[in-house]
Amino acid sequence: MTAILIGIGTALFGFALQTTVAGINRKVIGRLHKRYGPPFYQEFLDIFKLLSKRAITHGWIYDFGVIMAVGGIFATAMFMPVTINWIPFVGTDNFFIFVYLLAVGMLGMAMSASGTGNPLASIGVMRALTQMLAYEVPFLVIVAIIIKVSGTSSLSGIMEYQQANQWFMVLLPLGFVVGCISLLGMLGKKPFETFIAPAEIASGPMVEYGGKQLGLLFIMMEITHFIEVSLFVHLFLGGASTLIGFLLKYFAVYTAANLYSWLNGRFKIDQVVVFFYKWILPLAAIQAVWVLWR
Amino acid sequence: MISVEYLILGTVLSAILTYFVSLFNRKLASALVILVSSIVFGIYTYSGYSGSLSAVVELMPNFGYFKVTELGLFFTTIVTFIIAMVSFFHPLYSERYAHPHAFQFLYLLVLAGVIGVFNTNNFITLFVFFEIVVWASMFLVPMSKGVKPTITYFVFSTVGSFSLLYAILYMAYGFGSTDIDYVLTNLTGTPALIVYVLLAVAAFAKLGAYPFFTWLPDVLGETPDPVSALMSGGIEKLGAFIAVLGLVRIAPTTSYFVAVGVPWQNYIIGLLAGVTIVAGTFMAIRQDDAKRLLAYSSAANGGYILLALTVGNTVGFTAGLFHIFAHAAASTAAFLAIAVVSYRTKTSKISELGGMIHHMPITYVVYLSAIISMAGIPPMGGFISKWLIFQTLIQNNMIFLAIAAFMGSIGSFLYVFRILAGLFLGQKLPKYKDVKEAPILMLVPMILLTILSVVSGVVPTYFLTWIARVTTSLGYPALATSDLQIVGFNGVLDAPMIALVFGVGVFIIFILFLIFPKSRKVGLMDTYTAGEFIYTEELLHYSADFYAPLERLYREEPFVRKIYASIRSKIMELGDFVRYYFFTNKPEVTVFWIVVVLLIVVWGGIL
Repeated sequence: MTAILIGIGTALFGFALQTTVAGINRKVIGRLHKRYGPPFYQEFLDIFKLLSKRAITHGWIYDFGVIMAVGGIFATAMFMPVTINWIPFVGTDNFFIFVYLLAVGMLGMAMSASGTGNPLASIGVMRALTQMLAYEVPFLVIVAIIIKVSGTSSLSGIMEYQQANQWFMVLLPLGFVVGCISLLGMLGKKPFETFIAPAEIASGPMVEYGGKQLGLLFIMMEITHFIEVSLFVHLFLGGASTLIGFLLKYFAVYTAANLYSWLNGRFKIDQVVVFFYKWILPLAAIQAVWVLWR
Repeated sequence: MISVEYLILGTVLSAILTYFVSLFNRKLASALVILVSSIVFGIYTYSGYSGSLSAVVELMPNFGYFKVTELGLFFTTIVTFIIAMVSFFHPLYSERYAHPHAFQFLYLLVLAGVIGVFNTNNFITLFVFFEIVVWASMFLVPMSKGVKPTITYFVFSTVGSFSLLYAILYMAYGFGSTDIDYVLTNLTGTPALIVYVLLAVAAFAKLGAYPFFTWLPDVLGETPDPVSALMSGGIEKLGAFIAVLGLVRIAPTTSYFVAVGVPWQNYIIGLLAGVTIVAGTFMAIRQDDAKRLLAYSSAANGGYILLALTVGNTVGFTAGLFHIFAHAAASTAAFLAIAVVSYRTKTSKISELGGMIHHMPITYVVYLSAIISMAGIPPMGGFISKWLIFQTLIQNNMIFLAIAAFMGSIGSFLYVFRILAGLFLGQKLPKYKDVKEAPILMLVPMILLTILSVVSGVVPTYFLTWIARVTTSLGYPALATSDLQIVGFNGVLDAPMIALVFGVGVFIIFILFLIFPKSRKVGLMDTYTAGEFIYTEELLHYSADFYAPLERLYREEPFVRKIYASIRSKIMELGDFVRYYFFTNKPEVTVFWIVVVLLIVVWGGIL
């Protein structure tokens, strides 16, 4: 029971953290463009404004999908350890839960988006799934190495292993590269933001949303980013023993990804698949053979 | 006392009875099929697990050699359950069949055959019942469309049957015995390897693994809808049974592939299973017919089963058996959901359908649960087996097989969503405005299968103790569990906790959703179209060529189809040759033969 309460706290913390970091990043990017940028709490304002507005619904699947999406992602975040002392579910915070429970949320959102009857939304979902097929496989291969080397699939266990030994960023240099690029794909940052592509398919899956549904999906997006960046920190950067350490690593990773994304254009979706299968997957396989079959 | 023999003979007799009843009243005969298959499932499971099922043979001496084993119990329970579930579709569906009377008869014959295959201790008995299943199901295949799928099914089944027969004859020749336990435990050296390969070929052909996987879409896509469900959830599992006999019970002593810790032959079978997963998944992604799509996915899942069985440890074996069960439940439910749609709309093409969720919400929920399980997402049964399979792959350093498994797992999100988006969601097409929800009789089995998928995903430990009976009976220790948690090689899985946390998450968001202002309902055509004015639903429905950008990246046909086509054309040429020289009444051929005969008559002595 306490685990569930801590989990709820973690998910809320993750939401607050990522929304703040994203807000600060808007400022960072603003400075990059030689403008001031919005205040750091702008993202909160946007979300609460949306939540309070009266909007439309396209039927029960539209609403049900949103609830399933945000609920699924919220549940996934509840499993996420933050530091070595802040672990909601000790021992059972299995890595595969994050990948597959995250998929429930994604499925909910995809279902809701396709349920609107807007073809742009379906195209967006199609692209998002295709992109997932591209980045998830190399990433999972690297995680498989990490699990095998550290001997545990528990995220907190992987964290402890790295703090006792070496960060996986150092142990698996090729894997780290794969992880970085896959992270960009997960976060939907350029060059891998094909499934949103505002100028092309009008924000893809999000096209039909407004009001509280959009607000909830924003919350979902923030929590998803929290999960993905935290996974990266825990898997490659040794996790964290103190909250300050976690916050610093978290901020550094997200900001680096965000800054890098502003240097890029956008891939076409088939280019994304070819890029990952031609370059990143072999890289992951080489790393795996190098470490495991020696 | 209930014996296997009585069950089989009883089923055969009721099959004959059903045929004659069907001549008078078709509905009554279908009801009889439901009754018989449900009762057989009930009696078999109850008496089997209470230990009162006897294997005594009284009426078929020198032929029936039966034995009730844990492995047989496991398979029979699953397959007879699937047969009983699918039978609920007959009363309403039988009008569509070309030969409704024969259909009922053959369906029960399949049931009888299945019990025989799984509960025997003799290879000859096994083979005979195996063939009964194959032949009976072969005549089920052409009940709605043409005979072409039947030929495909026959050819591929023959490959499996002959391979099995050679293995049996080889063992009978070597040991002078066809007793399964005796032969399999005493096989060593090269004979073991030969039998291993032959049984693997039989399993591959039956399960539809690479390179034989093309029969699944060609047959399952064309048969009557309930038969597709029966094939995918039930009859295909015969291949898995042969795979357990071959891959798990025989261990030929050959050299080890040290890096992954399994013998070489296991690794090669594993690689083929990996190819099956990848090829099945990528072919499923590009299918437009929902049944063909699910058939390819069946092939891919067969690959997972084979992959798990080749690893040769408790976790792998348990994962394979759990996947057999989870896939049987999920795949049957998915096929039945599509069957309902096609029953109401007369098509299963994704590009022709749309918005079915508004007409059949319960069917939609059934399909949704089934695909969540097939894609291996918690809280459904499919997640447990996928998790266990990943455990073994990582533990054994099987990198390339892991890539295949991951690819298949993520790819399954894509293909199951294609049906979800194109067929169930999207615009509500006006041509289907009168379509109604499935009849209650059809909803019953679908809902039962859905409940089974959910329960097996939330409290898998109950099912794992059931599977542990099988693994321990074959010499593998039971999978470690503590309370409701599963202990793998590198982690603990707390499935009930995942389901609970998921429930908590959804509940919190649901409350939030209710607090905020209520939304106004608008129609599906009231959408953002970037300034275009579109008034027809079809134009706003995105379902044809769903994954067009991805589909462009790989060739349409898998490599093996070309080989099969060329073999087929060679056989046709041979047939043409024979027909031309022996079965025509063309004058030139007649003259040719006259000349040949004269030559033999005149100069035959010299030759």
